Amino acid sequence: MSEFDWILKGRCYKLGHDVPHGGGVIPNRYIVARQFDPAELVPHLFEETDPGFHDRCRAGDIIVTGRNFGMGPKMNGYIAMRALGLGLVCESMPFLAYRAAIGEGLRVLTDCPAVGEICESGDELEVDFRNGFFINRTRGISREYPPMPETLMEIVELGGNAGWLKRWWRQQQKTG
Amino acid sequence: MGMTAVEKMLARASGKPAVKPGDVVYPVPDFIMIHDGVVMGAKRELDALGIDRLAAPDKVVMVTDHDVIYGSARAAERGDFNRKAARQWGVEHFFDVGRGGHGHIFPMETGMLLPGMFYFDNDRHATNAGAIGAFGFRVGAEISRVLATGTNWVMVPKSVRLRVRGALRPGVHARDVGFHLATLIGNESLTLDLDYRVLEFAGDIGQFELAARTALCSSPTEMRAYGVFFPPSESVLTLARKRAQRPFTAIYPDVDANYEADLELNVGMLEPQIALPGGVQKAVDISKVAGTPVSHAFIGSCGSGMYEDLVTAASILGGRRIDPGMRLFIAPGSERSTRRMIDDGIMRIFIEAGAVMLPAGCGPCNDAVVGPVHSGEASISTAANNNAGRFGAPDAKLFLGSPATVAASAVAGRIADPRGVSASEAVLRLAQEAA
Repeated sequence: MSEFDWILKGRCYKLGHDVPHGGGVIPNRYIVARQFDPAELVPHLFEETDPGFHDRCRAGDIIVTGRNFGMGPKMNGYIAMRALGLGLVCESMPFLAYRAAIGEGLRVLTDCPAVGEICESGDELEVDFRNGFFINRTRGISREYPPMPETLMEIVELGGNAGWLKRWWRQQQKTG
Repeated sequence: MGMTAVEKMLARASGKPAVKPGDVVYPVPDFIMIHDGVVMGAKRELDALGIDRLAAPDKVVMVTDHDVIYGSARAAERGDFNRKAARQWGVEHFFDVGRGGHGHIFPMETGMLLPGMFYFDNDRHATNAGAIGAFGFRVGAEISRVLATGTNWVMVPKSVRLRVRGALRPGVHARDVGFHLATLIGNESLTLDLDYRVLEFAGDIGQFELAARTALCSSPTEMRAYGVFFPPSESVLTLARKRAQRPFTAIYPDVDANYEADLELNVGMLEPQIALPGGVQKAVDISKVAGTPVSHAFIGSCGSGMYEDLVTAASILGGRRIDPGMRLFIAPGSERSTRRMIDDGIMRIFIEAGAVMLPAGCGPCNDAVVGPVHSGEASISTAANNNAGRFGAPDAKLFLGSPATVAASAVAGRIADPRGVSASEAVLRLAQEAA
């Protein structure tokens, strides 16, 4: 698992406060339809606010949001973000949104106060999700935010809950 | 720094001397609850991974409360799937149709859930556990990991404390307090962020018996509280001891426990409340909307499904009939209550009043599987919430009130103040004897 990329280097994609999951992150119809297939979800990430986002973003890009990102215990948008190789840094998230993001194996930092004030879309960022180091190379600013709890890193490294359970079961069978 | 009661419960279950908010722990639960709506998803997920045995089948409590009487072929298929799942997993504590009732009510009424306990649940209304001084932690679809491994990660939540001041006036119910509290938070009269917080009640709470405490767990949950906690009173402890299926130790907060917020709520002047359509946080004094015609009513749900709630409604319905244009559904919280209502005559009151008895469970409050409303109708109920489409057409008007208010309104065919209707003292006494 050592090859897992905990440091992302990419461009900032900045969003404001109170972006809801349904509509703000991914159209509500994919949530209602319980669509969890990354290939189906990717083309629709941020579709209602920024059509074509999935074509323009690159693996390593980092979504930076204001307060209260991703309202609701929904995971569809995080599945798409992970599939695209994106990271997520939020001023705050409702807890269930955070739990859902971890459960889908997304690299995510939350409780990063005023993070939106030190970057703009397009800035070159470098974020180490293990220790919470946040660097804006374009503006020469760095911050230290709360890292992801160590015990949750394992879930993210294994690709989320499903991956974690799969490995756990393999180990159980080995140990009898 | 001391710990809150919920922190102590999590520390005990995790085998740690102490925990604090933000810690991630793996508590071993006293039991694991899963309801009929999510068994299929969890079973298929585990089957796909080849996981064919549960960590602790003896701890698993499977409950059929969301879709009890199968209004569709799909529901019948799911019921069949769930029964096979229980057999394959070796789940003995399977409270299927007609066996237990509402998973967030009957365990308190039967002494399965006791003060000081910690458990995992797929459903967010596990918050009801706080009424008896326990803590139920909702993990949603991640219940699969709990079933497979026996635990899951819990980030210790922050706690906030609310000191109740004053005594409720006659005719005012704990649900009214909940609607009022949600409204104060919603309109920011009270600066209280409940997202992933445990709301601990303090102050003048001796007036609230177990059923009232249960009612008070409801609206904070709708405002995103992850837990509610009442330090068990002597009266709650007496009840728990009487019903207990096993020994228990009640847990109380340390005097120097840390609360993110410490606020007061004065309830002495409170009027009965009506939550207007759209959310529990839209409550107004009943005088503002009294007289509004309604044609659908429902008493029950995790917020008002205790035996005492049913008795309160019956005390108003006794000797009266509901309005001819009204349909009233009663969904008791437990099979125990249903049987008890036969013995003590409450059932006769409901039937003679013209109400329709539903099996113990969630009733219409789950996705309208029974007794839904039609487009353009107006309903008054004790449902957990009245978000658009909660039980039927999205454009139906869903009002919420206390069990007394709903009963009075069902008789009038309009929203009616229960204080204007005489309640039977003899029937109300049944609730005291219930304890």
